[in-house]
Amino acid sequence: MQHEVERFRARSRWLHWAIVLASAALLLTGAFLYVDQWGIAAQDGWSRLIHRIMGVVFVGVPLLYFLITPGRTLAWIKEVFSWGRDDIEWLKAAPEYYFGGDESRMPPQPHMNSGQKMWALVAVVCGVGLAITGLIMWFFKGDVGPGVFQWSVFFHDVFVIAGGTMTLVHVYLGAVHPRMTESLKSMFTGKVSAEYAKSHYGKWYREVAGHKEVAQESPGAQSEA
Amino acid sequence: MTNHWCDIANADVVLIIGSNAAENHPISFKWITEAQLRGAKVIHVDPRFTRTSAKADIWAPIRSGTDIAFIGGMINWVLDDMEAHPENYNMEYVNQYTNAQLVINNGIKLPVDLDGVFSGLDEDARSYDKTTWKYADTTNPVADLNSDYSVFKLLKRHYSRYDPDTVSGITGMPKDKFLEICRTYAASGQKGKSGTIMYAMGTTQHTYGTQNIRAYAILQLLLGNIGVAGGGINALRGESNVQGSTDMCLLWHILPGYLAVPHHLDTDLDTYVANHAPGTITPVGLAGDKSSNWWSNYKKYIASLVAAWYGVLSAPDPALMDTRFNYLPKVKKGENYSHMRLFEKMNDGIIKGLMCWGQNPAVGGPMAGFERKALEKLDWLVCVDLWETETAAFWKPENPSRSKPTSEIDTEVWLLPACASYEKEGTITNSGRWAQYRYKAVDPPGEAEDDLWIVDKLVQKLKELYKADPDAPNRDAIIKLSWTHGADVDKVNREINGLDSNGKLVANFTKLKDDGTTSSGNWLYCDMYTEEEGNRAKWRDPVDHHPHQIGLYSNWAWCWPLNRRIIYNRASVDLDGKAWDEDQPVIEWRGGTWIGDVPDGGWPPINVAPVGSKYLPFIMKPEGVARIWGYGRADGPLPEVYEPWESPLDANLMSGTKNDPTCFLGEDRGDPGSPTSYPYVAMTYRVTEEWQAGQMTRNLPWLVELMPEMFVEIGEDLAEAKGIGNGHRVKVKSARGEIAAVAVVTKRLNKLPGKVGGKDIYHVGIPWHWGYTGLSTGASANILTPHVGDANTAIPEFKTFLCDVEKA
Amino acid sequence: MSEKAILFDATKCMGCRACQVACKGWNELPGEETSNRGTYENPPDLSTTTWLKMKFGEVSSNGSIATWLFTRRACMHCTDAACVKACPTKALYYHEMGFVAYNKDLCSGCGYCQEFCPFDVPRLASTKTDDGVLSKMDKCTFCADRVTRGEVPACVKTCPTGALVFDDRDRILEMADDRAAEVNGVVYGKDVVGGTHVIYVLDREVDPELHGLPKDPKVPALATAWKDILQPAGYVLGGVVALGLAMNYMVARARMVKEKEGR
Repeated sequence: MQHEVERFRARSRWLHWAIVLASAALLLTGAFLYVDQWGIAAQDGWSRLIHRIMGVVFVGVPLLYFLITPGRTLAWIKEVFSWGRDDIEWLKAAPEYYFGGDESRMPPQPHMNSGQKMWALVAVVCGVGLAITGLIMWFFKGDVGPGVFQWSVFFHDVFVIAGGTMTLVHVYLGAVHPRMTESLKSMFTGKVSAEYAKSHYGKWYREVAGHKEVAQESPGAQSEA
Repeated sequence: MTNHWCDIANADVVLIIGSNAAENHPISFKWITEAQLRGAKVIHVDPRFTRTSAKADIWAPIRSGTDIAFIGGMINWVLDDMEAHPENYNMEYVNQYTNAQLVINNGIKLPVDLDGVFSGLDEDARSYDKTTWKYADTTNPVADLNSDYSVFKLLKRHYSRYDPDTVSGITGMPKDKFLEICRTYAASGQKGKSGTIMYAMGTTQHTYGTQNIRAYAILQLLLGNIGVAGGGINALRGESNVQGSTDMCLLWHILPGYLAVPHHLDTDLDTYVANHAPGTITPVGLAGDKSSNWWSNYKKYIASLVAAWYGVLSAPDPALMDTRFNYLPKVKKGENYSHMRLFEKMNDGIIKGLMCWGQNPAVGGPMAGFERKALEKLDWLVCVDLWETETAAFWKPENPSRSKPTSEIDTEVWLLPACASYEKEGTITNSGRWAQYRYKAVDPPGEAEDDLWIVDKLVQKLKELYKADPDAPNRDAIIKLSWTHGADVDKVNREINGLDSNGKLVANFTKLKDDGTTSSGNWLYCDMYTEEEGNRAKWRDPVDHHPHQIGLYSNWAWCWPLNRRIIYNRASVDLDGKAWDEDQPVIEWRGGTWIGDVPDGGWPPINVAPVGSKYLPFIMKPEGVARIWGYGRADGPLPEVYEPWESPLDANLMSGTKNDPTCFLGEDRGDPGSPTSYPYVAMTYRVTEEWQAGQMTRNLPWLVELMPEMFVEIGEDLAEAKGIGNGHRVKVKSARGEIAAVAVVTKRLNKLPGKVGGKDIYHVGIPWHWGYTGLSTGASANILTPHVGDANTAIPEFKTFLCDVEKA
Repeated sequence: MSEKAILFDATKCMGCRACQVACKGWNELPGEETSNRGTYENPPDLSTTTWLKMKFGEVSSNGSIATWLFTRRACMHCTDAACVKACPTKALYYHEMGFVAYNKDLCSGCGYCQEFCPFDVPRLASTKTDDGVLSKMDKCTFCADRVTRGEVPACVKTCPTGALVFDDRDRILEMADDRAAEVNGVVYGKDVVGGTHVIYVLDREVDPELHGLPKDPKVPALATAWKDILQPAGYVLGGVVALGLAMNYMVARARMVKEKEGR
């Protein structure tokens, strides 16, 4: 039996899938207002109701997560926003790596590699942006004046385009890319094989393996990919 | 109206005074706008800047109740200008078609001689002996312009006191505004030019309301504006069918067709005619030498009316006609039976029953608090209306003016639901005297029935009850009543037109007989329904067939008299029958006949007709000419300035006589409020969005949305002084009572530009539509109004009284 | 069908508000519960049940009243309508007769039309319907149900003074120009937002803003940036990225298979 290491705790996995569910619904119901031909699906405003419910999930679940584990969440956010020399090395090596090049040329990565950090960064920024502009359009229509509303509509789309595009990349890398064989599975089970961990997150693996073959409560434990 | 709605478009100047035409007669503005498009100037004289003012070329603020000073000033200005520039006026019209030249009794004394009153006043009786007001020769008055007692000289003497400074000092109107109006309006005095005066309740609802209108008449006659296209004195009727109901004897003192209500001394038909039909007066020295005195047909009209009510005779029978004449209810000579007196009599317990048919005195009556209490004294009250009116609900706790609790009010009240106009069929007669047939559009809701159905049922029942009771008073008057039409509108129309003894329609009123062998329910309408042409009120030809297309539309509906669209139209042509206004002739004498409108009498023009048949143009006047000097009124042959019953001034600025000495004073009026306690001039009026006492509009959500609440309009300056903000709740008080309302603070009603008697004059505007029943309720303005009225008509003085206003 | 327009001649309007009532009558809109707020004007604003409302404006000079302006407030039916541009579901569209029509069934109730309209006209409200409580936009329909059958709009039909006229837009423009020349007034709506289908003749050369009309109404630049630049850019970006990822997949997979085989 292959040796496994725990990569995502259950709480993180729940968070992830809740956001997946919400985002999917938000993207779809939002697309009704984006794609001209789909407009008919928005008639009578049922899609708006779903959009709003899912908006609450999208904003509420992370907030809840933060309330339960404030310290770790803050540490994670700090990590997402801290970029250094290693990240540059990663960025240099990444294209070759992702285009199926030599695996060994990729420097060993911590629990969350620079690409994932980049994704997390976009997700946080766009998520917050969508939440704020969404809330303005929902609750402050008529109070903020047409200017602010119009900017909100505009930036809601900016964030959705940026976030949505990155989501495509994220889904691709997480579930489709030939190199990421255990990524999707890990988001269900929480575990990856030691081998996979060693090859993809060498730095982190060394950290965990150095003590025992169990995931440590490292800040990276909340990583989402 | 002497003219009609469409004719307003022909005017060169439109003077709107005592009227807020845009708000209360919006359709009139279709024609005013048309006149403006053709270059007419519109002048609006009103204390308040209204929606009418917004569309006028000139708006002049005036102190409420000072029309006579203002118009008198214009008359004075015109008389002076006439002397300096007679070429700018139609002197032939003034001299030949009015009584300007005729000589008056040399016993006449004017207010200038008697400190504000005319000769003949009996102060205790509050009435005038009019002997000295009449022509020097009462049957053949002489035309002599040089006589000191000619109407023209008397007029000049009387109005010379109305100089611009005096006028400005009384009215509060800036002098330059006044002069601008004089110049603008007097331009209509040119031959071929016309000016129209449009007025409404703002003119009539004063203790001297009739004299206000007389002042307009004098001005219009001096300017040659009566009888011509785009001229006239046009009373804007406040309800679609007020003209019709007035024609049909809405008022207490007249029978249908403006025949006098008989009094107790009118013992038979001939006595009645002798007492009421004016004798012919033939002026001497005018170009015309014959007065038609149309009222000499009086007996034909009353006989035909009696025949309409009690059956057409197949052969003359004078005795039977006298018997039938005596079936008519009679009044006591000299007694007043007008609205205010009726309520006083109810309050005194003399009148025990009341039928309120489409009327709502609990809201619309003056001193409504008093009138509501008077209703408590009734044994029974029948209200016929579309909704439950305040009058019908006077006994309910919602009525704030009850003197006792509901349980102690013993009046039995019936409310009969009636149809709206779209739910029934028949004619209405509009302000322009057009009788127009209306068809039923929808069925009435619930148990509502049309008026005719209700009357029919009532009469049938009365006949049954009277038949059963041999001792019933004046029993024959009821049981012999000819009621052949039942509830059939067509048959009613036929009876109104008139029938001969063969049951054939009478062609027109010249064919009516004075012996009861023809009938006519209203002689003025005889011609509306003919054997050849059917019911002409149903005519709908939208083409103007007048040779000069002056907008007569003579084949659209039918107009009394004889489909004559502009009355007094023989004054629109010169002595040769040529129109003063060649572009807009009403009638013209061409090739030995009249073309155009139906002429006021078909006789040839004065210069064409043979001696002895030169008919004078004003056929309804005994002297054949229009009266600049009119001795028929109760309070003077010429309008003279008086103050309203409640005036902000301590004295009349023109004379020592403060109030109209013959004005109607209600017995229960109480003391007038003093300017110290009630310093502001209040006036009541209507708004576009609500109508009359409100039941027909305050129950319609679309209109309630527009005008949801009782409000008063207050000038920004007064509001500031009183600490009243826009939209605040305020109390308005008069000597009669107090009401609550929302304040609409506006610069449209700031204090008058000029001081009057050393005082700043502030007006407070109070719409009178609200009451305590319906979808939108509110305080009634008439809680504040006084029980006093016009000397001639007793119309209440709703338009000027004193009030105070303060924050609620 | 030819391009139509309504002429509102403020110089002929006397503020009787018959148009306001006729609009409610024809369109079967309920009366609103209002209060007197110190003005004749009511209801306070346009709403889903008030598509046309007259504004009253007192203009003074030296502290005393100079005039009382009456202005029509309703959809202007722009040729370049921000609402049509902003409407995500295409519920709002241009009718072939020129006016801005809408298919209420398609309305999602997003309210973008209201927020982007330079005249602040469309209104939203939740109302009970047979399908439940729905939020929908409403505004003046140009009486499409009348004009497409050759009738004039209800407001025009009822106007007593001829302040409202309905005709081909070319004719209306001619009339407006003639009238403006006659009264030394100004024509509003000829060119703004591509030309409106409600053309105003204003009393005098006053600021149109006194009449409650924006001096230079425009389709908001943001609407153009959003609809014509951002959203297409979104499609492009998404497409490019998707393409890139597909390429990456093919290349990476091919190389990895090769590598495996090589091993």
